[in-house]
Amino acid sequence: MTAVIRAARGGIARRKLQVVIIGVVLLAATATSVVALGLLANANGPFDRAFARQNGADLTAAVDPSAASRSQIAATARLAGVTAAAGPYPGVLVTAEVTVPGVPGSSPDSLRLAGRSSPGGPVDDLTLDEGHWPDGGNQIVMDRGTGVFPGSTVTAGSQKLTVVGVADSVTGTADAWVLPSELSALAGPGNPVQEQMLYRFASAGSTSAITADIAELRAALPRGALLNNPVSYLGVRQSEQSDIAPWVPFIIAFGVIALVISVLIVVNVVSGAVTAGTTRIGVLKSIGFTPAQVVASYVLLVAVPALAGCLAGDGLGNLLAIPLLTVNAHVYQVGALGVPFWIDVAVPLATLALTVIGAVPPALRAGRMSAIQAIASGRAPRPSHGYRAHRMLARINSLPRTVTLGLAAPFARPARTVTTVVAILFGAAAVTFGAGLALSLGRVVTDNPNTALPVSVSLSQAGPAQPAMTAAQQRSVVSVLAAQPGTLRYLTQTGGQVSLPGLSDSASVTAYGGGNPAWSGYALISGRWYSGGVAEADVNTLFLTDTGTSVGSAYTLGSGRHRVTVRIVGEVFDPGKNLDLYLSPATLAAIAPGTTGPGQYDVAVRPGVSPAAYANAVSAALGRSYQAYASTGQNKTLTAVLALIAMLTILITVVAGLGVLNTVALQIRERAHEIGVFKSIGMTPRQTLAMIVCSVAFIGLAAGIAAIPAGVYLHHGVVPVMAHAANSGYPASLISVYATWQLILLALAGLVIAVAGALGPAGWAAGTRTAFALRAE
Amino acid sequence: MTEHPEAIRLDGVTKRYDHGVAPAVADVSLAVAAGDAVAIMGPSGSGKSTLLNLIAGMDRPTSGVIRVGGQRVDRLSETAAARFRRRQVGTIFQFFNLLDDMTVIENVLLPAQLAGTPAAAARRRAGELLATLRIAHRRDAYPARLSGGERQRVAIARALVNRPAVLLADEPTGAVDTATGEEIGALLRDLNAAGQTLILVTHNPDLAARYSRRVVAIADGRIASDTGALR
Repeated sequence: MTAVIRAARGGIARRKLQVVIIGVVLLAATATSVVALGLLANANGPFDRAFARQNGADLTAAVDPSAASRSQIAATARLAGVTAAAGPYPGVLVTAEVTVPGVPGSSPDSLRLAGRSSPGGPVDDLTLDEGHWPDGGNQIVMDRGTGVFPGSTVTAGSQKLTVVGVADSVTGTADAWVLPSELSALAGPGNPVQEQMLYRFASAGSTSAITADIAELRAALPRGALLNNPVSYLGVRQSEQSDIAPWVPFIIAFGVIALVISVLIVVNVVSGAVTAGTTRIGVLKSIGFTPAQVVASYVLLVAVPALAGCLAGDGLGNLLAIPLLTVNAHVYQVGALGVPFWIDVAVPLATLALTVIGAVPPALRAGRMSAIQAIASGRAPRPSHGYRAHRMLARINSLPRTVTLGLAAPFARPARTVTTVVAILFGAAAVTFGAGLALSLGRVVTDNPNTALPVSVSLSQAGPAQPAMTAAQQRSVVSVLAAQPGTLRYLTQTGGQVSLPGLSDSASVTAYGGGNPAWSGYALISGRWYSGGVAEADVNTLFLTDTGTSVGSAYTLGSGRHRVTVRIVGEVFDPGKNLDLYLSPATLAAIAPGTTGPGQYDVAVRPGVSPAAYANAVSAALGRSYQAYASTGQNKTLTAVLALIAMLTILITVVAGLGVLNTVALQIRERAHEIGVFKSIGMTPRQTLAMIVCSVAFIGLAAGIAAIPAGVYLHHGVVPVMAHAANSGYPASLISVYATWQLILLALAGLVIAVAGALGPAGWAAGTRTAFALRAE
Repeated sequence: MTEHPEAIRLDGVTKRYDHGVAPAVADVSLAVAAGDAVAIMGPSGSGKSTLLNLIAGMDRPTSGVIRVGGQRVDRLSETAAARFRRRQVGTIFQFFNLLDDMTVIENVLLPAQLAGTPAAAARRRAGELLATLRIAHRRDAYPARLSGGERQRVAIARALVNRPAVLLADEPTGAVDTATGEEIGALLRDLNAAGQTLILVTHNPDLAARYSRRVVAIADGRIASDTGALR
């Protein structure tokens, strides 16, 4: 074994460049894989941890107490598949005014109230973030998601409650909690109180299992007692998926590309070492090395730098993942998130194993080599391919001879050429893919009201929600906007919340008026924008998913006691965790009659007009009662992700470039004497450089052209997965991002990678003294 | 001899590869007249091949001055040295150094192509040389298919294709049998007779005596004897 280690150490010492290349490419591949898997493992991690800690409800059911008695409802806790249950808790939907200390005004909001005597329980064991649980009348605890803090007041009907605490339910079983005795008074006349039951089941890991659980529950209760569809934790988990989930697919794609290139490079390195080390192999065998020991020495030659690269890559991957995971951990308040230990162990081991597997076939070739033949040849075997290519290219008089010499070189070692081409192809595909991702994310930014309508004008005395403008205030704003030369167009915007029967979440409503809602900038995935009339709405994908509806469906919306059925006419590209609804002011007024006017004006400015300067001008014209803000159009998360994409793309291209560098270095090492002959008959350094660069330029160009469809295909495959992870479908504009000129430019990526990778060793070869090169063997 | 201009002149040329080790070439001064045939003779490791490399501009001396055809070559950049080799010197080697993946004609044409000679002119010149060297019938063969003598004749043709002022031959018969060696020697003598300046490196005294007009013996990097030094 000592002899094998010594032989491997000797090989490493003789191939410092290759050793460094192996280390660097495996560092990149391991780091990318660690980031990808770390994010993937943590995409649902925070939710799952909080769910486990709170004994989250697999199912939240609302039961009609007029159809089932409390004993019938309580008996469902003893059903065969139920492992734990909580409730029944009385629940009701109310419209309340929330007043926050220090903030003038108040805002109407729909609140799902649940009556619970304590935050704990066998299911949905609430986390009390602040304050205490109600211990008397007129006290309320708000859900963390409402953003209302202790000391605020909530007025529902004639009841005025003080917020005494803030709690969190991982599956969002309610917006606020009061003592059960408070519920009836808060509901008011004509607003029926429901009974809420929370269950955990033995089998709840899949949609089909949950469906079976619901069927068992429905069968156990009188017909019609189970209201709407009970809310499954799976749906909440999907919609609550972390902010980083959409970024996981592309990081995985980059990780796979990096791994493939790494293995290809390792194969080339070991093949080259075997080819160049023919004499050495012969000597090793002649002094008693067995074939297995020769194989082991060549595998070790790769394994040592590979191990170093894997370990360094693991560390780098953790460093890159931490900032992204920290954001996610903060959202769920689950403490520090990190790359799981198993990933820190498994990824370097898997990468190392792949590398060793890649090294074994060429090492086996070394093991099988005849000692006599190896020693007798006295030098690396000359390539036996490519003569015909040389001959054909030599006839092309229109190209300099140095160019045709270079172009013929790849044919001498076809296997190496193929692996190099594939490595460049993957690198160039990563460039096309990365550029496409950047363009798609750019569309996400531009297909957005912050970009399309960058200036918002509202009243200064903003409370928790935007106060509505009176008719006189609207006239003032309109006259100022009309007087501004920079005004292109504007929409009025009225916001609100509506409850969705059977769902834990309410939906955010935006009513655009005074113009075409398409001016908002949102892209439509399907359908059309609502018309000005009543009862049409556009919704985002999550709304369709959670409500089980589709474009063309009718859906009943509620606000307090009002119910209006709308026709869904379009699916809006608005990814995220929120259910979003867009409708006309008239439709909103029908759902929420208390809505009196728009809360703000959203303005598009003429090309060349600075939104900030425009907003200042509007502010000055309207006076202190109004405020005008200009959106910067910047999105910090997207900026960070774009930076990550750029970094990964550069990393992959560097790795692919190192692959080319390795190939060219091997080529020069093997052809050193030949290069010496060229120089001895008058080849200048520049001609030498041109010849060597041309030896990879053509294959780089070819690989770059082939990489275009590969990169586009990858982009078209990954972007929908990213959109899905962001709870959204995608508009065609998000996919069709490549302009022809961009594709032509991207096709040159392979050429750039090849030339950049070749320049270093080619420059070295060009500058080498002729006598030195001639002595090389 | 003095009526002939100098083709090559070396003044105090030393080439040292490593400090602390004896120089490969030590303070060599030598002048060769145009049209002369000089054999540089010495045992293995005496420095004769190094001297040839220095004259060909393939290596730089540690000190001293080298002029070939009046051009100083000891301080040329790599690019200038390559241009110098294209036009001023042709080199033939013991092991031929033909390019295996090129045919005979492609090997011979290569220096002309690198020098930018028009294709037709280069082909005409290569054809003439192959005919003169009686190898034209193998013009499309690969070196691996040729005998040692044929390979060396191809190497000579390649060395001469750009009409160099000086032909440098490093052990040109070292890798061929005796009969072929005789043939190559005769060929070189004929070329010299036609006016080609020839520097022949060999360790074979018989070859040196038969195919050159002047013999310079080298030992330990120094000139040990010279049968016809220029003044």
